[in-house]
Amino acid sequence: MDEFDEIRGCLVEMKDLSALMIDLAFSSVMYNSEDIAEEVYLLEERMDDLTLKVKRLTLRAAKKEEDPESLLSIMDMADINERISDAAYGIADIILRDIEPHPIIREIMEDTEEELGRVVVHKGSVLHGKTLKQLKLPSKIGTRILAIKRGSRYIYNPGKDDEIREGDVLIAVGSDLDKLRKLAGEEVEEEE
Amino acid sequence: MEEWDEVEVPNNVKEIFVEMKNTAELMVDLAYSAVLFREKEMAEEVLELEEYLDLLNYNLMVRAVLSARNLRDAERITSILQMGRSIDEISNAAADLAKMVIEEKLHPLINEVILESEETIGRAIVSPESILVGKTLEELDLPTNTGVWVIAIRRGKRWIFDPDEDTKLMPGDIIIGRGTRTALDYLKEIARGVIKVMPNG
Repeated sequence: MDEFDEIRGCLVEMKDLSALMIDLAFSSVMYNSEDIAEEVYLLEERMDDLTLKVKRLTLRAAKKEEDPESLLSIMDMADINERISDAAYGIADIILRDIEPHPIIREIMEDTEEELGRVVVHKGSVLHGKTLKQLKLPSKIGTRILAIKRGSRYIYNPGKDDEIREGDVLIAVGSDLDKLRKLAGEEVEEEE
Repeated sequence: MEEWDEVEVPNNVKEIFVEMKNTAELMVDLAYSAVLFREKEMAEEVLELEEYLDLLNYNLMVRAVLSARNLRDAERITSILQMGRSIDEISNAAADLAKMVIEEKLHPLINEVILESEETIGRAIVSPESILVGKTLEELDLPTNTGVWVIAIRRGKRWIFDPDEDTKLMPGDIIIGRGTRTALDYLKEIARGVIKVMPNG
C-alpha cells in the first residue's frame, strides 16, 4: 500500500467521522446526554491522531513528488475536517461543562428539519436479528442509524452487515423517527 | 456589513439558531458538491452563505447578551454564545473548502475521498418520463422515500440552491443530492424514469 492509499483511507474516515460528530454533538445537546457528549470527545481525539497521520504521510509522499505543492490541498482537507470536529466538540462541551445550558438550546432542536433521537429496540421487535442491509432503513423510512449502543459499547457508523438486536439503543436521524419507533416496538403517540 | 442591511434576520434567538444550524449544514453539503463537480458558482454561494451566517451569529450574540438580567442568566447564556461560535466555525471550514475550488487547488485524491465516504454526493438528471416531473419537493418527500437530501437543482443555466418545499421538478433538471451510494443510485433510476413507483409516492 503506498502513501496515497493510506492517506485516502484516513481522509475517508475523517470525513465520515466529522459528519457523525456533528450529528452526535447536536443530539447530545438535545438529550442532555453526557454519554454521547463524551463519545464526541473521544472521537475528537481519534480525529487529532488521523490529522497528524495524514500530514506525516503527505510529507513523506511529497519527497517523491515532482510538484510537492500539489499536495497542499490534501493537508488542507485534513485541517478542514479537524476544524469541523473541533466545532462539534465545542457543541458537545456545552453538556460536559458544569454550567447548566440555557433552556432555549434544547428548544431549538425541535424545529430542525431532521429529528435526532434514541430508539430502544423492544422485545419482539421486527428489527431484531436483521442486518442493516436487509432493513434498508434509509430508502424505506428515510432514517439513518448513526450509532448502535449495545450495553456500554457504541457501534459507530454501523455497516450493512451489522445486526440489530433486542435491547439495542439506536441513535438515529431522519425526518420522522416515529416510523422507526413503531418498528422497534415502542409505543408511539399518534398526532392529529 | 452594509450590503446586509436589507437582509432579513429571524426575530428571536430560537429561530436564529435553527437558521444557523441549517445554513451551516447546507454549506458543508454545497462545499463538498462544489469540490466534486468543480463548480465555482456553487463555491461562491458557500462564501455568500458564510457572510450571512456571520450576520446571524452577530444578531444571536446581541440578542443573547440583551436578555441577561442577572448572573445566573448570563452564565447560562454563555452556552448560547458557545453554540453560535461552534456553528460559525463549521461554516468557516466549509468556506475554506469552497475557496479551494475557486483557487483551483484540488488534488484528484480529494474527489476519491468524497466518492468513497459513507454519505456522498451525486447527480440525477430528471428525464421527461420520470414520475418526479411536475411534483413539488413536498409531495415527493425524497429524504423519506429515497434517503436523498436535495442540496441544489440546476435548471438550464440557473442554480436553485437549497430548494424549498414548493419547488416543482421539471424535465431536464439536474438534482444534486446527498445520501448513501445506494440511495443516490435509487434516485437516479427514478429520475431516469426506469423506476415508476416510490414507496408512499
